[in-house]
Amino acid sequence: MSTVIVVVVAVLALVGLVFSVSGAVGILRMPDVYCRIQCSSKTITMGALPALVALVVGEGFESAYAARALIVAALLLTVNPAASHALARAAYRAGVPMWDGAVRDDVKAMQAAEAEHGDPRHGDQPEDRRDGEHDD
Amino acid sequence: MINIDQLYFAVAIAEACVALLLLPRIARGPSVSDRIVALNTVSTQAALAVLFYAAGADRAVYLDVAIWLVSFSYLGAIVWARFLERGLI
Repeated sequence: MSTVIVVVVAVLALVGLVFSVSGAVGILRMPDVYCRIQCSSKTITMGALPALVALVVGEGFESAYAARALIVAALLLTVNPAASHALARAAYRAGVPMWDGAVRDDVKAMQAAEAEHGDPRHGDQPEDRRDGEHDD
Repeated sequence: MINIDQLYFAVAIAEACVALLLLPRIARGPSVSDRIVALNTVSTQAALAVLFYAAGADRAVYLDVAIWLVSFSYLGAIVWARFLERGLI
């Protein structure tokens, strides 16, 4: 194993770790759940990818480790945004409050506008729930 | 000259420490959503730690554990989100 590869692996892993630590600090310190979801989706993914690339560089592209690392990277890239989206939507629907300093809530404004124009679909909550149960 | 296996072990330990950093949020998170977000991140970090441990210890068997962790953390998050949104059933 040549020194260059070790140095490249160390640098890539360090970059990934810096992003991971900043994401973890963000999840600890952000004021509400939506900001925390932002940290957990973007920063943690960005922290995982350089570490996985470090594994690919260190073990060689055709090893079993590199193959699994690339599978994990692809899974993370597709799965993490989907899970974060579902969690944010569920948190909003469950009524988790926003931070006091939050400046805009587009969904609320949209629902208020639709209620003002007499859109019957968003009028009452129970009908919404019944609609939701049909789609599975 | 540092051995690359030792480097892998160090990275694995560091990723696990990042996961440990998130435990206060799981314990304290004001709502269930906060806990799920932190738990999702913990399992991502655990997958990374397992990958690096497998590379350091030369045990290719552990690699599948990492894939399992990543995909099942997604399933868990989806199930929790569905539960929060619609309740049981």
